[in-house]
Amino acid sequence: MSRTAPDLARAAAQWLALLESGSATERDHARLQQWRDSHPQHEQIWQKAQSLRQRFTDLPPALAMASLDRPQPGRRAVLKRALGVAALLPTAWLLSRQLPIDVWRADLHTATGERKRVPLLDGSSLQLNTASAVDVDTARRRVTLVEGEMALTVPGAGTLTVQTRYGQVIVSQAEVCVRQLSSGCLVSVLKGAVQVQDLRGQVATLQGGQQARLQASGMGAAVGFDALQLGWRDGVLTAQNQLLGDFLRELERYRPGVLRWDPSLEALRVTGSFQLADTDRILALLASTMPLQVQSRTQYWVTLTPRKSAA
Amino acid sequence: MNDAVVPTHLAEPSLHTFYRDHRSWLESWLRRRLGNAWDAADLSQDTFLRVLASAQPIAQLQEPRAYLVTVGKRLLVNFHQRRSLEQAYLNALMQLPEACVPSPEQRWLLLETLQALDELLDGLPAVVRRAFLWSQLEGLAYREIAERLKVSERTVKRYMAQAYEHCLLVEL
Repeated sequence: MSRTAPDLARAAAQWLALLESGSATERDHARLQQWRDSHPQHEQIWQKAQSLRQRFTDLPPALAMASLDRPQPGRRAVLKRALGVAALLPTAWLLSRQLPIDVWRADLHTATGERKRVPLLDGSSLQLNTASAVDVDTARRRVTLVEGEMALTVPGAGTLTVQTRYGQVIVSQAEVCVRQLSSGCLVSVLKGAVQVQDLRGQVATLQGGQQARLQASGMGAAVGFDALQLGWRDGVLTAQNQLLGDFLRELERYRPGVLRWDPSLEALRVTGSFQLADTDRILALLASTMPLQVQSRTQYWVTLTPRKSAA
Repeated sequence: MNDAVVPTHLAEPSLHTFYRDHRSWLESWLRRRLGNAWDAADLSQDTFLRVLASAQPIAQLQEPRAYLVTVGKRLLVNFHQRRSLEQAYLNALMQLPEACVPSPEQRWLLLETLQALDELLDGLPAVVRRAFLWSQLEGLAYREIAERLKVSERTVKRYMAQAYEHCLLVEL
């Protein structure tokens, strides 16, 4: 008896169809058992067939049916369409154009103070910082930064593109942070190198350890930066001899509600690593190490004032 | 655009030359058909990987570009197939009541699963595919499927056997 793969597949398929038809007799069951026992390859393909059926069982029927039983144009028509889209559109037009809604997109966002990590395709991962939103489009391998800040790690050779209002960042075997600013966005490369394409289609390479601002007018100069600036990815806010005003403006992003401070505090210097998970605690730490005090009208209305020495 | 991603098994000089000589040509060929550079870059990578993974010795290719185009066309078709699945999936998601919409993570996983199954079923005649899906996803009995399709139960049984055989062969 020949046991080529097609023979085995056919035999197992016919047994399955017989069983499912509901017309199998006692004798059929016995014969099936006999067939399975008669050769290890028979049992093996039988198990394979069972796991094949298993793959369909946990799916939500309505969604799966609508997707898998969609109207099929047929291979020939698909091929024709695939080969028919000919015109090469001007790059700038493509970039400025909104992606069509018919492409499947997942919209992810974080609230103020929230951070999120989401696995993407091929081992890539996406991290969202506080008050951020992105659209993810698997088909086009594209992440569109709508607002806030995101980090993208692409370990493999496949390419993922970060689309921003001011151009795009093409990421492969690299790790990059992109932050939307009031005008332009800040691209910081942590590992590897990325290609940055501005709205006019100019492409430049940004190396690991470099940071540049991308604006409507194009990409600014690449400068070095301190990776500690991007500590949010590990839930840490780090300051090294930073102006307190700058530090508080950064901290504000993570706090829902109002944070205000007396202008005389701006020029104080702050150093330290702070856990972003508890920003009230950060304020308490500042108060315990610096000449300032925290006044909370409510949890969402906090004012920092110089400490009165007599108090 | 991504010169850095030469696949590592391009060790042999002939493979390396092959890649270097034809990559940008293939990419612009694909770009003209896809209308954008990024998908074209991805598909060209995939095409080279397929060619390299195939048994065909590259050094013996008489018409390397014609061969690349053959492989590339097949991948283009798959690409459009995936897109049409995603579109159908999105439409179905939007029909769901708010409370039934899966979380973003579940949506990913589900889409990936559906893509794999879509590829698995690719190539089956439409009626066979439909009968198989009714049975697997909706749990319809062969008799019910026969009624819906206005064919005999015997025919349904044959369809099912054909679908199982097809899938098992793909998986082997």
